[in-house]
Order: sequence, then structure tokens, then C-alpha cells
Amino acid sequence: MKKISKALLISSAVIAMTGCSASSGKTEQVMDAQKEFGCSTINVYNAGEYISESAIPDFEKAFNATVKYDVFESNEIMYTKLMGGSAYDVLVPSDYMIERLMSEGMLQKLNQEQLTNLDQISDDVIGMRNVFDPAGEYAVPYFWGSVGLVYNKNNVDPAVIEEKGWDILLDSTYAGRVYAYDSQRDMFMVALKALGYSMNTSDTDEINAAYEWLLSMNKAITPAYVTDEVIDGMINGNMDIAIMYSGDAAYVLTENEDMAWVEPKQGTNIWVDAMVIPSNSACPALANEFINFMVDYDQQYANSEEIGYSTPNKKAAEELSAGTYEGISAYSPRTGYEKDEVFHFNPEMTKKLSDLWTRVKMSIN
Amino acid sequence: MEHKNSTLNRLYYWLIIAFFYAPIIYVVIFSFNSSKSLTNFSGFSLRWYQKMFADRTIMESIWYTVACAVIATAVSTVIGTITAIGLSKSRRIIKEAVTQVNNLPMLNPDIVTAIGFMLFFTSLRIQTGFTTMVLAHIAFCIPYVMLSITPKLRTLDPNIAEAALDLGCTPLQALWKVIIPQIKEGIFSGALVAFSMSFDDFVISLFTTGPGINNISIYVYANVKRINPTINALSSIIVFVITAVLIIINVVPMIRERRKGKENEKNLKGALD
Amino acid sequence: MKSFSKMVTPYLVWMTVMIVVPMLMIVLYAFTVQGNSVLTFQFTLNNFARFFSDTVFPSVLWRSLKMAFITTVICILLGYPAGYVIARSAPNRQSVMILMITLPTWINMLVRTYAWKGILDASVFSAEFKVYVGMVYNFLPFMILQIYTALSKIDPALITAAHDLGADNRQTFLRVTLPLSVSGIVSGITLVFLPAVSSFFIPKLLGGGRFVLIGNLIEDYFISTGDWNFGSAISLIMAVIILISMYITRRLDKQTGEEEGD
Repeated sequence: MKKISKALLISSAVIAMTGCSASSGKTEQVMDAQKEFGCSTINVYNAGEYISESAIPDFEKAFNATVKYDVFESNEIMYTKLMGGSAYDVLVPSDYMIERLMSEGMLQKLNQEQLTNLDQISDDVIGMRNVFDPAGEYAVPYFWGSVGLVYNKNNVDPAVIEEKGWDILLDSTYAGRVYAYDSQRDMFMVALKALGYSMNTSDTDEINAAYEWLLSMNKAITPAYVTDEVIDGMINGNMDIAIMYSGDAAYVLTENEDMAWVEPKQGTNIWVDAMVIPSNSACPALANEFINFMVDYDQQYANSEEIGYSTPNKKAAEELSAGTYEGISAYSPRTGYEKDEVFHFNPEMTKKLSDLWTRVKMSIN
Repeated sequence: MEHKNSTLNRLYYWLIIAFFYAPIIYVVIFSFNSSKSLTNFSGFSLRWYQKMFADRTIMESIWYTVACAVIATAVSTVIGTITAIGLSKSRRIIKEAVTQVNNLPMLNPDIVTAIGFMLFFTSLRIQTGFTTMVLAHIAFCIPYVMLSITPKLRTLDPNIAEAALDLGCTPLQALWKVIIPQIKEGIFSGALVAFSMSFDDFVISLFTTGPGINNISIYVYANVKRINPTINALSSIIVFVITAVLIIINVVPMIRERRKGKENEKNLKGALD
Repeated sequence: MKSFSKMVTPYLVWMTVMIVVPMLMIVLYAFTVQGNSVLTFQFTLNNFARFFSDTVFPSVLWRSLKMAFITTVICILLGYPAGYVIARSAPNRQSVMILMITLPTWINMLVRTYAWKGILDASVFSAEFKVYVGMVYNFLPFMILQIYTALSKIDPALITAAHDLGADNRQTFLRVTLPLSVSGIVSGITLVFLPAVSSFFIPKLLGGGRFVLIGNLIEDYFISTGDWNFGSAISLIMAVIILISMYITRRLDKQTGEEEGD
């Protein structure tokens, strides 16, 4: 009994110690959401581990509001949940998913008058957003990046991987030492790019060629198909080469000095995740304020520094790439390379690729 | 059953226990790690616990998980027990039908059951949230409760209940005083299975809950992207709490018994004086 | 006894609403195309044709059944002795021993699997072995619980009687204890085999993404591809196969039950 009460004492001490919130403390109240908009609660749905610890408490303080914050594991799960009738006020999906939501009339237009911080976003990222939302009516960029290869400099010659690009995945020298990405979309992107095709192709011959490419990749290097485990795996140096998202790569590079990053010369997928407001939002006015708040320098700086993905905020990006992420090439993915593409939503293609993808996965053993 | 075990038997039990607890000990150890690594222990620290207690989403998810599991276990154990007993006296065709239908949520992949529930709730235009999540949990727990109780009922002498009724028991008394005591192990293990099923569920919860309502699994699944020792801290807390509850459950009756013993002694002394 | 059978009625209603109706919706999707908007259903058998005309899908199914079968066998082999030991322990210790077995299942399955990944990552075991460790770890407690439940119900007098009649320990076990605990094994199989066939998280995480099982396939088609019709069709095919195998198991259970009666 004595031991239990001791344990209780310790745990309540821990609670007391840490009872205060994670708010950075520098934010002050600028508005009372209830008075101004008639509602003070918003539901935000974002990817997991994709926001700084201080952002939500800061916003709640500034607007005397409550944020209910949910996270999803993939764009597709988010979409399925929306189909199930879940009502959110702010979503942070990827480009192609925003394209889909727009085409299905599930988004509402933003209130440009409230979005006073948009001029802080760099032109490059605005250019990427214009691919799916040309007039900027629906989406405000949140993070952006590309897909590339992380490799161990000690075991892979940088000159070789720069020269070969994606084709290094066909080189049996690296058999059993490669992480591939367990996603149909990303792997077909790699194969199509390696073959010099567009990742948005719908040409049957090109798709079949990409399928054959993936089969020979399986044969040559027997990759482990992983998703997020790739991050820990590469930090621990479990493998020599990994297909990775730039923001995760930036994190790996800061944690393990042996690792380097390359964006293959055959071109890759550049993407942008952006904030949007669903048409069934119950409190769009506050949602617009949230978006504006999140795109501001302070929040973007904290966000990007903590998470490792590249911020669309021009000033924050410049400072971070010269500061915290100095020398981390993956933090500043290339822009304006003509072979890089933004992914487009194409339901027919997704279905077509899915059966081929099952076969690719089954061919491995 | 005879109630004695050889040393070899006992050793076997402890080997199985070691197997079950290896990953848990691993989780607990690394929840106290001062660095983020899950392979190198670099020093003792409580930072992940601090982070956990400061995180509102985690604290809420714990609350929703426990609340949902408690309600679902209570309701499904009651309904499951009543139904299982009723079923043992029902016609064969009803027995068969219920068993077959009960198999559906158990044999279907969670994702299918989950999508089924989601389609069901949305077609009725019910806004998903805590209530729908609890309803879904009750629905998938009941079959497991019944599965635990049915074998017990099968080995029960069918004449006992009749005898109780003949001796003047009301059906309710027969149920409460005769049948239930005989199947209480089954009810107990059914409730345990229901609780752990509900507590652990991920996919069905994900698709039947609404904005702002997360359980621990949903939180974990979306947050294991990078090494996240906060989740180890969360799991360790669960281990501590459950262990504490177990100790209390087992120690309190012992203390009470001892006290009773002492009181008896006192009374005895008083009587002697 | 009529009054007892009436107790089933509320559940019959609940069961129809909460289990049958959602399942019918899945069936509806399996036999239609263009499912995402409710008004445009069209009857078709194409989803099933697609599954069986390509060798890759049946081979995924076969692999899943094989894996679940092996997992179940290992669980019986490891779980029976454990349940037996618990049932033979002093009655006042049994509930603690059972709690010790169930306690780990209250820790999140995802977390436990990640922990195994951490432990096994550095080892030299094959991906297949790791997947089996994860599967057995996850399902074994349910097998032990069921077997224990059945064993603890056996009347000690039966064992004594067997001994009195000259049976040695082995004979007593094989001819008395084991047959009387078959019902526990059967419910154990239900609790292990069924979820094992459709598990997707364990093979995904511990198998390095190299083990596509039917559960992964269903998950992929429902979520990644958003093809609910084909996903439903795969689920239905799996459900039918499992129902058949359950029917066979139950037949076996009944046969041993009848032999007991003789």
C-alpha cells in the first residue's frame, strides 16, 4: 500500500511539474473569436507530426479560441473520413488531393480579405500552388518539398549516385541495402521518371514499361518496402540507400552525418501541402484567421525548424537554410527544374496502377 | 482438474510470461531514455513524460479510450451474458443464426467492419462522434463475450435451472443465483477480452469517430512517423496504472482478511475477559 | 425455459441493425460498380471476375490462409500447455495468472509491434520469422484464455475417476482432459485464425513490406485506391472462405462431442 501511495505521489508531482501548457508565451490576444465571428471552436485535420508544439496554444491564446486538432496518416484516409461525413474547418492535404476535393466541390473559397500574410510566401511555392489552384482561391501553402534519394556517403560513391540517379536502384551491388517507399504513387513516379516519362502519363505502354522497371528493380536489389520506418532506419544507418521525402531527409541528415541527399537528374515529384477550408465548415471566418496565422513568419519559422520540412514563408526559409539547416541540402529542394513535376489526381490511373502494384509487391518473394 | 504443478510446468508459465513482457519492458525502459533513440540508452530522464502530460491531445485520447472501453465492456458483458444464456435455451435455428451473424464482425477484417459501420452511420445521416464509436465498440465486443460464455454454458447441467425453478425460484432468481455463479469465469474472461479488444481497437474507431474525438490507437498510428518516445511514455503509464490496479485488487482483500482476523482475535479476547 | 429464450430478442434486433445491415452494405458494394455516390449503383460480377482472372490475387489469398494456419497451430502448441498450467494452479492464484496473460493485450497493439520491431531489427532472423513472432505474440493470449476457460470447467472427479479406473497420466490426459477441452480449442481457433487471416499491420511492419496478405490488399483497395467495390468483393470472397473453414472446424468439434457422449 505504501508503495502505491508513493507512486501516486510521484505521478501527481510529474503532473504538477508539467501542468503548464507548451505555449511560447510571446503571443498576446489580438481578437475575441466569439465576439467577432460568433463561434470560437475550429476542427483542424492535419498530417501526423506536422505542426510545432507551440502553434495551437499560441493561436488559441491570440483568438481566445479552441482548436480541436486531429491528425491523419495519409491523404487517402483523410478523404475517406470526409466521405464519412466528418466536418472539419481546416484541412492540410497534398496538391493532388486538393485538386480532387476541388473537383468534387468539397471546398469553399477563402476570404482573401482576412489573408493578410499571403505576401510572405515565396514566388516559387506560389508557382507550385498555381498548378492545381491557379487563382489561389482555395489553398494556402503549408509545407513543400520533393522526393529523392538519401544515401550513406561511406558506402555509396556520391559521383556514382549523381550520375545514375534513379537507375542506381537497378544496380545489384546494393542488393538488400535499399529502402523503397511502400506507396504505389511514389514508386510508379520513380519508375516513370527513370524511364524519362511523365509521372502523370496515362499511356498504357509507358505504364507497362514502368511496371517492368519495378519488377527488375525488385530482382536486382530486393528492397524493403517501408513508409515512415525509413526515417529511423536511415538515422540508424540500417541501409545504404533510401527513397525519401525531402523534409524527412533533412531530419535524417541532421541526425546522421554519414547521410547525403540527391535529387535524381531524371526529375522527380515536387509537391506542396496546403491549407484549405471544406464547404461544410461551421466556422469559416475563424478558419481563415487560422490559415493566415499559420502562414505568418513566426509560426512558419517554428514549424519548419521543428519538423524539418521546407516552409513556403520566404523570410523563414532564407533564415533557416542559413541557420538551423545550414549545409542540409534536403532542406532546400531544387525549384524550376524542368523535369520535376507536380502530381495530378487521376482516378482512372490510380485504379489501373493498383493491380500492377499488387503484382510488384508479390513479385518480391 | 488437480491443482498442482511440477517445476517444469511453472517454468513454462514463466517463459510464456517472459515472452509476453519482453516488448513491454523494452517500451518502459526506453520511455526513460534521455535521447530520442530507441536502440541506445543514453541516460535517465522524465522528459517524455513531461511532454506527454503537457500534450492535450494525448490526455484527451486517454480519457476517450478509457471511457469508451469501460462503457463498451459493461454494456457488452451484460447483453452478451443475457443473450448467451437465453440462446442456450433457444431453438436450434435461432442459435445457429445468431452464431453465424456473430462470426461476421469477428471474421471480417476490421477495415471491412469499419467501412460497413461508416456507411451505415452516414446513410442514416448520423454525425459520427463518441456515441457512434461506443456503439460500434459494443457491437464488435458482444460476439467475443458470447464466445467466452458459450463453452461454459455447454458444460452446464441443463437440469439445474429447471430444478431451481421447480424449487420455487423465479426465473430471475434462477438466473442470478444458479446460472450466473456457474459461468462467472466465462463472464469474467469475456469481459477481459471485450475490454482489451475495445482498448486496443484502431481501425473501427478511426472510421466511426468524429472530429476532435481520438482514442490512443488513432493517436499512436498517426504519430509514429518518427521516433516518438512520448508514445513509449504513454504506454508505460498504461502499464503502471494497470499494474497498480491489479495490486490494489489483490492486496485490498488480503488486508481486509487480515483485519477481519484481528477483529476476530479482539472479539475473542473481549469474550474471554 | 421459455422465459429464458425470450432474453435473446433484444439482441436479435440489435444484431440485425448493427451487424447485418452494415454487412449488407458491403455486399451491395461488392456486386456493383461506381459505388461512391449512392444513386448510381449498377449490378455487376466484374469485381469477382477481376479477382479470379488474375493469378496474383488468389496467390495472396493462399499465402494469407497459410500464414494464419501456421500461426494458429503455433498458438495451440504454445497456448495449450500454458492454459493447462494455469488451470492446475491453486484456485486463488488462477485469476492473477490469467490477468498476467491479458495485461499485455491492454498495451496498444501498434506499440507492442513497434517494440518487437525495435527488438528484432538488429537480429539476423528472416522477415518471415519476425512476422510469425509478431502474429503469435499478438494472438496467443486469446488462445490461452479460451483453453483455460474450458479446462477450468472440467470436474476434478472425472480425473480422479479415470485414475481409479487404472488410467495413467497420459491416458487420462488423452482420453479425458483433452476431449473435454476441445470446445476451448475451437473458440481459441476462432479468436486466432480469423483475425490472423486478415491482419495487415503486423506483416506490414515486421515483414519489411515484403509480405502482402489479404488484409493489406483490402486496406490498399479501400483506402489508397479508394476502390470500395473491389475492396468489398475481396472481403466477401475472404468471408466465404473463412465461413467454410469455420464450418469444417465446428463439424470436428461436434464429432468429438458426439464421441464423448458414446
